[in-house]
Amino acid sequence: MGVIKVDKYIIKDDLLYTKTDEWVKVEDNKVREGITDYAQKELKDIVGVELPEVGREVKAGEPIGTIESIKATADIYAAVSGKIVEVNERLLSEPELLNSDPYGEGWIVVIEMSNPDELKHLMKPEEYAEKIRKGEH
Amino acid sequence: MDFKPYKTLLLSFHEEVLGATLGEFGGWIVPMVYTSVFEEHNAVRTSVGVFDVSHMGRLRLKGPDVIPFLQRVFTRNIAKTKDYWMSGPTLVLNEYARVKDDEMPYRISEDEWLVVVNAPYREKMINYFKDIIRREKFNVTVEDLTFKYAMIAVQGPKVEEVFSSIGADWVNNLHTLEFRVNCEIAGQKVYLISRSGWTGEDGFEIWAEPKYMIEIYRILLRVGVKPVGIISRDTLRIEMGYVLGEHEYGEDPTKYPPALSLRYGFGAIDWSKHGFIGEEALRAYRREGVKWIRVGIKMRKKHARVIPRKNCKIYVEDQLVGWITSGTYSPYLKTSIAQAYIDTRYAILGEPVEIEIRGKRYEGKIVDFPLVPGRPVIK
Repeated sequence: MGVIKVDKYIIKDDLLYTKTDEWVKVEDNKVREGITDYAQKELKDIVGVELPEVGREVKAGEPIGTIESIKATADIYAAVSGKIVEVNERLLSEPELLNSDPYGEGWIVVIEMSNPDELKHLMKPEEYAEKIRKGEH
Repeated sequence: MDFKPYKTLLLSFHEEVLGATLGEFGGWIVPMVYTSVFEEHNAVRTSVGVFDVSHMGRLRLKGPDVIPFLQRVFTRNIAKTKDYWMSGPTLVLNEYARVKDDEMPYRISEDEWLVVVNAPYREKMINYFKDIIRREKFNVTVEDLTFKYAMIAVQGPKVEEVFSSIGADWVNNLHTLEFRVNCEIAGQKVYLISRSGWTGEDGFEIWAEPKYMIEIYRILLRVGVKPVGIISRDTLRIEMGYVLGEHEYGEDPTKYPPALSLRYGFGAIDWSKHGFIGEEALRAYRREGVKWIRVGIKMRKKHARVIPRKNCKIYVEDQLVGWITSGTYSPYLKTSIAQAYIDTRYAILGEPVEIEIRGKRYEGKIVDFPLVPGRPVIK
């Protein structure tokens, strides 16, 4: 698996992306979700995170938590509809993982999909790279 | 010159050489952050950092009536200030005793002063000063030096070592608020150097033409001084309890409490002084007492990572008792902190309050300034 680099931002080519700068990794009938390298670099110094409760039913595009950085507060949106089955509790005490490893240790939630068809509405890595490229200029 | 947003005079260096993230403040494009707010903020608290503060307005006021004019617009008694000393920060009020700007006067001589004004208010204050001068017939000229000189602030507990190491030992003899003009630092022409800053740490501020300033800046980086962006300037001033326009103060009496509620400090208001603009209203508030008072807020440990931001409401039980004016996460204290206005009946140091953030309430404690203890007192 490789990466696409746009300026200083890393986009992984085995993930899907939302317009609101989340990534998802499909794991059978579930997705793992986090924020992109672009999102963490925009927010910079992340100091806190609010996570949803496990078991909560969410709709695609619904706010499921917040990320607090010194610069701003940002909402996290569900990439797909379904049930929250896991949250990364480590982030509560180590929110800086969102900065240091946004695609790995900094994952945020796992959602069990209620409608896997929604995946086709998400952006492919090249499309997301194009969005960043346009946003940059 | 009049293309907004203005660019600070060292901007291309920040962007191209240092890779700063840029943003807008007060009509200027400025470096927001270079590497990380944590590193930059803590460099100033524990070592030394350098800020480009060229966006701040620098004015020269000259003429036989400078002192009477400054006495008319400032709340501080600047008649006590000696040559080559800054008077300490002071306020300019409107007729409602609300703050137009907080500024720093520098006395070169009886009839020549410099005044540093806040970036967002530079044009407003130049027009205001000129208007008062015209209306009240003061013999004073106002010259804008903002685009002539760049300005940097070198701040932190190790600042003396830095200036020694670049062969400018002599600046370490300056006392807090003392300054010199037309001198040389590390072989570069400097218009002004003062022992001052807005971080709570020891430090110097330098004015120089851009061609000399860029060399001084490079020399400072070479000896290990860390470039610090404007976000850290904000987190540092919030920790110290220093104010910022449109946050802690503003001119609109329906949005901001009077200057007295600001509890500005530094001896900025002198009650023995008479005849300044806004005085009647300010004295009326003094007699009647103020409804709001500015305090610090420190979040409880379990909410240390939730940041109360501007305009969040503050409650005691079911009573709405105040609002947040500035909030941040303190990289030094490792907890969220804020400045707030609290109804004076509830402004009891050490008491818990609840702050409403995104519809939920989080507990904090009323504390006094500065929020960082034990800042050094400088000579």
